[in-house]
This record gives sequence, C-alpha cells and structure tokens, in this order.
Amino acid sequence: MKWATRSAPHVDRTACAWLIARFIDPDARFVLVDDADEVPADATAFDMRGAELSHHDGDCSFETFLRRYDLDDPALWAIARIVHNADLDDERYDAPEAPGLDVLMRGLSMVRDDADVLTLSAPMYDGLYEYLKRAALLGREPA
Amino acid sequence: MAVGNWVLLAYRLPREPSTPRIALWRALRRLGAAQLLDGLVALPADNRTREQLEWLAETVLEAGGEATVWIAKPGSAGQERAIAERMQADVNAEYRALIEQADRARDTPVGARKRTLSRLRRELRRVRRRDYFPARDRGLATRAVDALADSIEQVPA
Repeated sequence: MKWATRSAPHVDRTACAWLIARFIDPDARFVLVDDADEVPADATAFDMRGAELSHHDGDCSFETFLRRYDLDDPALWAIARIVHNADLDDERYDAPEAPGLDVLMRGLSMVRDDADVLTLSAPMYDGLYEYLKRAALLGREPA
Repeated sequence: MAVGNWVLLAYRLPREPSTPRIALWRALRRLGAAQLLDGLVALPADNRTREQLEWLAETVLEAGGEATVWIAKPGSAGQERAIAERMQADVNAEYRALIEQADRARDTPVGARKRTLSRLRRELRRVRRRDYFPARDRGLATRAVDALADSIEQVPA
C-alpha cells in the first residue's frame, strides 16, 4: 500500500512511518510531498492538514494511528508520549526523552534526504520500542 | 536589511465555548507568536513554526472556526524590525524573571534550590524555544541558572 506525508520528516512523521511499516502494512511504500495537492490518488495521507490520520483533539498523528488501528501495546503508547511531547512541545506527558529524540530527528534531516531519514530512523525506533518493552516487563530501566 | 519570510495564521473562533479559545491562546503563547491584530498572529517562518501554525489552524477548524495560513514578507524592514523588537522585549522580560528567581533561590536551603533548579531549567528551555531573535539577556539567564546549579554542587553531600 502507498502512504503519503509531507517532506522533511521529523519526529512525528518518522515515528508514524516506522509504525506503519512494522505494525500496519509490511509492504508499505512512502511518498513524500511538498503540498497536499501532490498526494497520489492511490495513497493514504498521514500527518498532513486535512488527512484523517493526523493531529486530532490534541493528539499527534502517532497517537491517532494507535487509536485508529486499535494498537494497545503499552510500549507503543510509551513511544506515543515521547513523540507527542517532542512534536507538540506542550509537556502533556512526563517524557524526558522527547527533546533528545526531537533534536536527533531534526539533525538527521539536515544531513540526509527524506528517503534516507525514514530508512535510518526505523532501527532507532526499533531500539526505542525494545527498550520501552523491556522497561515495562522489568518495571525498571533495562540495562 | 532584507526582510525574511513570516508565517501568519488568520483565524476566527466562535466566542463560546471558551475552551478552544483558551487552548489556542496557550499554544500561541508557548510558540511566542506576535499578535498583529485580533485574529492574526505571526512567527518567523521555518519548518517548525509553519507546521505548528498549520496544526493550530486545523484545531480552529475542528472547533467550528475559520483559519488560513499564509507565508508573507513584511512590506518594509522597519515594520519587520518593530515586530521583532516587540517579540524580543517579551522574551527578554521572561529571561529577567528567570534571572531574578535564580538569584533569589541561591539563598534558600539546598533541597529547595534543587527543586527550583529543575523548574528553572525547564522554563529556560521553553523560553529559548520561542526566542527567535536572540534577546539581550539570553546568555545572562543561562548563566544565572548554571550558577544556581554550581551553588548546589559546592554543598558537601
């Protein structure tokens, strides 16, 4: 399936792309566009104005995805809190990882093109997911 | 001096309910947006500010209001300077308040100092995020908070 979002992806869009590829659509292909009008007719848009899979009621797009696809994995919701704080900067959650992740993604997008950013950020989210999953199982910070 | 690009949000929200109005006001304040007129705010344009105002436009629409986002250039360098200086002054007042709190905290017990330090660091980070035209006392505020941290380090455990 084809998915479209705005170019220059930072934390919310990279996290959504990772979520789609790992949990929603293993055959996902991504198209990055500069304007909503450039979204191909056969693509599902996300994290763009007017898209259904976007910011809603104070949620960032990643949170919207979790709700729409009934993903209730606590480790994914832990990532959601980090992404939310990094993206909206409203300090709704206690997520000290957020400013660090935000800077990493912004920096990455300065030195690599969009496709590379999605490719390189995916294993970082794999790692974040694994870490948070172990943290939830152990009830403490994993070594 | 060449003028830069600004991103503008023009909006109108129903007077009631007041919750979306307050949420919008808070978000604009957090971003440090300049209020040009009632229902028109501006920020220097970059990827982040543009995206943030686009999301706010969406929330205005979801709340039954009207909103459009524009990329614009000020008509003159003087006009841009006036807005930038006003934004700078607002941010500088926030730095001054931080400096005062940091200085005052140095005379408090070490436990209270630690709590104040983490609060001031968070606040400093917030203010720096909306400091688009580095305000005069940015460095002073950073040093005042660092000095508070140093004063805690020097206390024997």
